Amino acid sequence: MAAEPLIKVENLVKHFVVRLGAFGERGATVYAVDDVNFDIFAGETLSLVGESGCGKSTTGFTLLNLQKATSGKVIFQGENIVSLNEKRMRPYRRELQIVFQDPYSTLNPRMTIGEVVGEPILFHKLATKAELPEKVTRLLADVGLPARFASRYPHELSGGQRQRVAIARALACQPKFIVCDEAISALDVSVQAQIINLLLDLQEKYGLTYLFIAHDLAVVRHISDRVGVMYLGRLAELATREQLFSNPLHPYTRALLSAVPEADPELEKTRQRQILVGDVPSPLAPPAGCRFHTRCPIAMDKCRAVVPEWREVETGHHVACHAVEMETAG
Amino acid sequence: MTITPVNLSSTVADDEPPVSLWRDAWHRLLRNKLAVAGLAVVILLAFVAVFGPWLTPYDFLTQDLEARNQAPSLAHLFGTDDLGRDVFSRVVYGTRTAFVVAIVVTTIAVAIGVTLGAMAGFFGGLFDRIVMWFTDMTMSVPNLLLVVVINASLKTPITAWMEARYQATLNPFYRETIWVDFLLVFGSMALISWPPYARLVRAQVLSIRGRPYVTAARALGLTNRLILMRYIVPNAIGPLIVSVSAGLGTAMVLESAFSFLGVGVNPPTPSWGNMISDGLRVWQHYPHLLAAPAAVLGLATVAFSFLGDGLNDALNPRGSK
Amino acid sequence: MTAPEIQKPLLDVRGLTIEIETRRGPAIIVDGINLTVGKGETVGVVGESGCGKSLTMLSLVRLLPNKIKVKGGTAEFAGRDLLKMSKSELRQVRGGKIGFVFQDPMTSLNPVMRIGDQLCEPLIYHRNMSKADAGKRAIELLRLVGIPGPEQRITAYPHELSGGMRQRVMIAMGLACDPELLIADEPTTALDVTIQAQIVDLVKDLRKKLNMSVVWITHDLALIAGLVDRVAVLYAGTVVEDAPVGELFARPTHPYTRGLLASIPKLSDERASRLSSIGGTPPEPGRRPKGCPFAPRCALAESICHERVPVLEPVAGHSGHRVACFVAQRQLKEAA
Repeated sequence: MAAEPLIKVENLVKHFVVRLGAFGERGATVYAVDDVNFDIFAGETLSLVGESGCGKSTTGFTLLNLQKATSGKVIFQGENIVSLNEKRMRPYRRELQIVFQDPYSTLNPRMTIGEVVGEPILFHKLATKAELPEKVTRLLADVGLPARFASRYPHELSGGQRQRVAIARALACQPKFIVCDEAISALDVSVQAQIINLLLDLQEKYGLTYLFIAHDLAVVRHISDRVGVMYLGRLAELATREQLFSNPLHPYTRALLSAVPEADPELEKTRQRQILVGDVPSPLAPPAGCRFHTRCPIAMDKCRAVVPEWREVETGHHVACHAVEMETAG
Repeated sequence: MTITPVNLSSTVADDEPPVSLWRDAWHRLLRNKLAVAGLAVVILLAFVAVFGPWLTPYDFLTQDLEARNQAPSLAHLFGTDDLGRDVFSRVVYGTRTAFVVAIVVTTIAVAIGVTLGAMAGFFGGLFDRIVMWFTDMTMSVPNLLLVVVINASLKTPITAWMEARYQATLNPFYRETIWVDFLLVFGSMALISWPPYARLVRAQVLSIRGRPYVTAARALGLTNRLILMRYIVPNAIGPLIVSVSAGLGTAMVLESAFSFLGVGVNPPTPSWGNMISDGLRVWQHYPHLLAAPAAVLGLATVAFSFLGDGLNDALNPRGSK
Repeated sequence: MTAPEIQKPLLDVRGLTIEIETRRGPAIIVDGINLTVGKGETVGVVGESGCGKSLTMLSLVRLLPNKIKVKGGTAEFAGRDLLKMSKSELRQVRGGKIGFVFQDPMTSLNPVMRIGDQLCEPLIYHRNMSKADAGKRAIELLRLVGIPGPEQRITAYPHELSGGMRQRVMIAMGLACDPELLIADEPTTALDVTIQAQIVDLVKDLRKKLNMSVVWITHDLALIAGLVDRVAVLYAGTVVEDAPVGELFARPTHPYTRGLLASIPKLSDERASRLSSIGGTPPEPGRRPKGCPFAPRCALAESICHERVPVLEPVAGHSGHRVACFVAQRQLKEAA
């Protein structure tokens, strides 16, 4: 962990301006990602979890410069990539890839699987035209698909198979880093397990680093080295898998963990749940102070006024909460 | 490390050839009887338009003053008009006029519409707003009024200018006033026809631009040009084909309407519109002079419309449910 | 719960078969499903997408989409066959005796109607209530499903509510006429975990309060572990296993059920260990194998599995546990 991080995210901010009113005369700001800091180390799987609208996917998109950051830095190979224009970004694109959630819209329906997987190889000149078929075959084999699939079209494949193709397309660039944006969320349970295994195998084989964006905590617990919990655009807690699941500090993390059902009827009967009241506030008008205070069972006056500091309470365990701060200080 | 091979027998049969979406759509189109009928009529009319002059028994200009206003007979299938010209031959030649006008006008309109619409949708921002402003403005002006105004105000000066050029150069090209007709007819029709294409393409591009496969292409580092050509245009083209098919029929009707109003293709070049216009004056005495061109125009419009509906169902199978 | 096997079940589906019109001709997607729901019982119907779990439930109130038709079977509800009822009788059942809650509250609610009016409609129609009474009942229902300030909320439009609130409104609509049976089709799939927990607790609570039967359709085995009394596992349009919930999780018997349970990541797993997974994908309609539909993906499959279709048979010694598998049944007999 002491090693130099592969990617360093510093004070990343992404605000969207939306137009409201019949003539777009009123502008409003969506505070999608606000002042997020974390490092990603080579070879690890860092997961970002949180509920819809918490900004976890936007963090992934902004980090890859697919959406322009409002402010902040993402340092990769010594360069702040979020400040680059598309042309200067191009060489980095090859190394930073993404796999999306919806297997039905992730592939161009007019291209064969072979074209989908072959395109990045030719574009980045990673092989000649003559070498291409062999290269495509090898990539398809890597994701567990037979070579004859190269001539098929996406609509002829099942969801799990399409997701394999999307992974092969990302791999075609020989990337160092892949953002998996809810990459398994839309798949059936039995297929999910196949894709998780595949991602783990590929990580081992090619030394990949993953930023795994998901809402399924059982899956996250299974595959992550470290986990970050986001709430309304801010990181609430970031820790190693063991720290987070055995000693969650932030009240939101605790509530989130207790809401996850376990596949065990006996355990479920006796389990004490901490059920949060209310809904997530709108990111158009996030609460002042700590953004979680409206639903927090232990909120204090301070939480309504002051934004809690992002602190490292023990090695590798970061949290932003006034209550935790008081506990550890006192 | 081993990667478990997947058992694929349940989804893709090995013996079936790959099916592209285009081929799939073609098969769906062929199963639609109305669409096939429409397609057959369109092909027949296109054939007539191309080979018409070799098929007709008479020249469309040859007047036979002995045989004026004759009712349909074996010698003259659709009868003859007030100058003794064979109506069948004129309808056949009118098909050529209709097709030339429809194809040229639609091509120009599609070229303008697709270029502006695709760029507006892809780049957005100020360019988008200006293009949409122009589109809305054009659509808000009554079509016929615009065409009549253009023709009325430009025809005389252009003809006068051509006459002057002829006097100066003696080049016979400047004597061909048919070009003025065509320029004005094609030009003004294209001018009022492009906005729907621009809107359609812009809406398509906007929706496709946000799809994950386009974002994936951006993440792969592909250039804007490649993304537009390989990812956006091929996926936007389905609805465009539907709209072009319907647009060809509309252009034929439009041309007839203009000829009818006297601002279209001028006599003696036969067009269904000016034949209908002529026929209308005497329809109580010689109904065939009105019926023949009107029936063919109706047939063509219905055929294009069936074909367009069929294409729509074939290319957007989910929309047809 | 009360012992449901003694009483006549509230819902008794037998041999339900559903066909879909495909390009290659008609294909069976639900193949002779048997399913019972006792009075006051909560049954989980579990399966992956395309296994026919939603279609089975929609067919009961004859709300199947166009190209899908019921081909055979019976579905007795309180002694009457739903599949043979007249249209007017059926309308009394829909939204009256059987309440529905769908997955996506955004598309299931009418966006241009106030939620109060949407709640009142079934009351006025099924219960012949006056507008004023229906309005009062609507407020009561919103309070019942835990919506704060129901007096103000009844004038809200669906888009003014959050996803969780909309799902609560959907549940209130399902409950409007005190149904004997509530069918919930993946009601929490579109929701976040903390909201899901709220909804699950709400349904548990309501079930006790109103003494109704619930069918909870889901793909998430973990979710129903603490929620239902009995589970029916569906695969490719057939029930492959049917057991009380504790029994199913303790002694999963069908290879598919075992595979599903094993593919859920567990607390005790080591990080990044390989999950056991089921290879391949479920068959598409029209490509069903000849024998057991699971045989092509099954590690235990023998020649008989590819030839004949197994039927649901009781597991000896475990009351209420039934499984449709040649190999598992034989192994159980050998062990006994």
